[in-house]
Amino acid sequence: MLFSEIYGAYFNVVADILSEAIDGTLTEKRIYEIVEKKAYGESALVIPAAIKDKEWPLITDDMQTPLVSKPDMPLTTLQKRWMKALIADPRIQLFGVDDRGLEDVKPLYSQDTIIYSDQYSDGDDFTDAEYIRRFQIILKALREKRKLRIKFVASRGRIHNWVCVPVGLEYSRKDDKFRLRVAGSRSIQNINLARMLTCELLDSYDETSVSDFVIPKAHVSLEVYNQRNALERVMLAFSHLEKETVKITNGRYLLNLTYNAEDETEILIRILSFGPMVRVIGPDSFIEIIRERLNMQRQL
Amino acid sequence: MAYSELIKDFEKIRDYMRQFYVYGFKSRDEYDAKSARSYDNERRRMESWLGEYMSFRQDDNGKIAFMSVDSQEIISNPLYKAFKAKSFTSNDIALNFFILDILSDGRGRSTGEITDIIADEYLSEFEDYKLFDESTVRNKLKEYDRLGIIRSEKEGRKLLYFRSDDDIDLESWKEAFAFFSEVDLLGVIGSFLMDKLEDNPDYITQKHHYILHALESQILLQLLTAIDEDRMIELEIFNKWKQSIRHHMVMPIKILISTQNGRSYLYGRRGKTGRFNTYRIDNIRKVKLLKDAARIDRNREAADKHLKHVWNISIRNDNRLEHVELTLKVEEWANYIVHRLRREGKHGVIEYLGDGIFKFSIDVYDASEMLPWIRTFTGRILRFECSNTEVQERFYADLELMYREYRDKDGGDKDAI
Repeated sequence: MLFSEIYGAYFNVVADILSEAIDGTLTEKRIYEIVEKKAYGESALVIPAAIKDKEWPLITDDMQTPLVSKPDMPLTTLQKRWMKALIADPRIQLFGVDDRGLEDVKPLYSQDTIIYSDQYSDGDDFTDAEYIRRFQIILKALREKRKLRIKFVASRGRIHNWVCVPVGLEYSRKDDKFRLRVAGSRSIQNINLARMLTCELLDSYDETSVSDFVIPKAHVSLEVYNQRNALERVMLAFSHLEKETVKITNGRYLLNLTYNAEDETEILIRILSFGPMVRVIGPDSFIEIIRERLNMQRQL
Repeated sequence: MAYSELIKDFEKIRDYMRQFYVYGFKSRDEYDAKSARSYDNERRRMESWLGEYMSFRQDDNGKIAFMSVDSQEIISNPLYKAFKAKSFTSNDIALNFFILDILSDGRGRSTGEITDIIADEYLSEFEDYKLFDESTVRNKLKEYDRLGIIRSEKEGRKLLYFRSDDDIDLESWKEAFAFFSEVDLLGVIGSFLMDKLEDNPDYITQKHHYILHALESQILLQLLTAIDEDRMIELEIFNKWKQSIRHHMVMPIKILISTQNGRSYLYGRRGKTGRFNTYRIDNIRKVKLLKDAARIDRNREAADKHLKHVWNISIRNDNRLEHVELTLKVEEWANYIVHRLRREGKHGVIEYLGDGIFKFSIDVYDASEMLPWIRTFTGRILRFECSNTEVQERFYADLELMYREYRDKDGGDKDAI
């Protein structure tokens, strides 16, 4: 059973409150702080009152509790079976998990039950020992906030050597690839892990020297004609982007998308894939790119 | 019934959340709500759960509430918050903490013992609270036994309950949870696990991250359970075009996921011997596991053979294939186009015809499903041919419409469609 109160925010928050009561550090102020940090927007209207009014008989007036130990819920069978299913996923090797304790657990599902029907076929090799080793060095660098020295092959075959500050690992299910995100001089740069030749852990870096980077964004406005179920297809396809949709008339919609500027070519071909049901109406530069493609096509 | 930010039944909020997230242009009056109050309650809940991800706009139709997420920037799927909002009674919360605390010393105890300890050592501090009777405690113990957080053992005539402790090093799984909670189909379970840990990693993110599938987690779990237990199922499916509900008995075999639009499908057989079919999971309202054995193993080979010529998810059962040929003119510097054909072209065959011309051919059940992909090569398509002439004609007719749409600098023909 997936939808259960034992996984709920309220139970987790009350567990934290009870832990502080056992430590002897609970106050009314702390109750509100814990609720605001870990529950929902309106939870502060409910949880403190339920505790104070003894609707939930867990905390006394003097902020004590009859519990003797800090709450610690065991894992459910569902949680353990899910973990066991992950062990058969080739990507689990990247994370160096300790899988002891799951020997007698049946996996929730087998990996061959799931098919990614349109995933690209040139994904990273997650079973390659060198790839796994580099991945784990990167994780350590991210965890401990340390620099890396990396050597990698750039897109036109040139080899680069960099000392860099890693800021994250990004995975794409479509590409089935990982990319290392590093802090460049002005923005975030991305390096495909499969193109990395070597990776060496260096010293810690000064966190204050790494500014908050803003990833350059771009915008495109589309007019969508709701024929052949185009509206639903477009909305779903671009649902992973920040967007705003306005209904113009019955059957016509305006969709404003925000995307990472470096992904312009990808966004272009995805818009083209919808054919005449989606028309770019701004910015002019994007309209020109589409027009150029159509002109190239017309001349063939 | 008084408003609460918690809910009893996830199904009620599922459709609202989808509409707010996917569409987000409807005003209050345009939602398929049972009543305006129903819309107001669900919108209020979503604002409470999702705060920063909810936005608002005013237009002629009124206030528009919508959800917008740049899923490349988030660390965790905000839709998981809805799964952590199940309502409960005061008995549920009290018994949860009391029972696990009583059993925390590792000793087993019977229902009667637990009931007495609760009365004597826990509720004694709360004089106004009604004592639990043994049957209430027994029901909760049985529920927790089913969940696996406690276990039962017979000792003579007594049934004793113990805490289910395990020897799992959750800390070593932290980064795996941060990754798989977003990548796995039942990643919400990973999110539940992350709630047990402090200082979860914030450095693992996703690109092309479709988060909507989370709303189908409950249905998906039932489907995976049916496949795992080799059981037939009855699906209750909503047809939004006909606004009707239909029931289908199905042998579940596989789950098909699109990584490019986030849609997921059940692939199975109608009845025990019927045709192979796909069912959109977001249209499935209910799954009922039947007692009948499905004997999926006997059908796997036929299913794998059948799936071989599927381009994405569209299938046929007469096994008739449509032949597609796409001829491209590729510039010398544009090697990546050939690379695209290889990595995206599935079981298709690529031939080099010389002079920068490549021919891609493939046989699929439904060539029309390939049109979006074919169009991504616009600018380089020398020829597109298909044994299904309707598909071929549609491709060229659509191209003509696009030429009209973008014809000139004044914006082309706005009424091309």
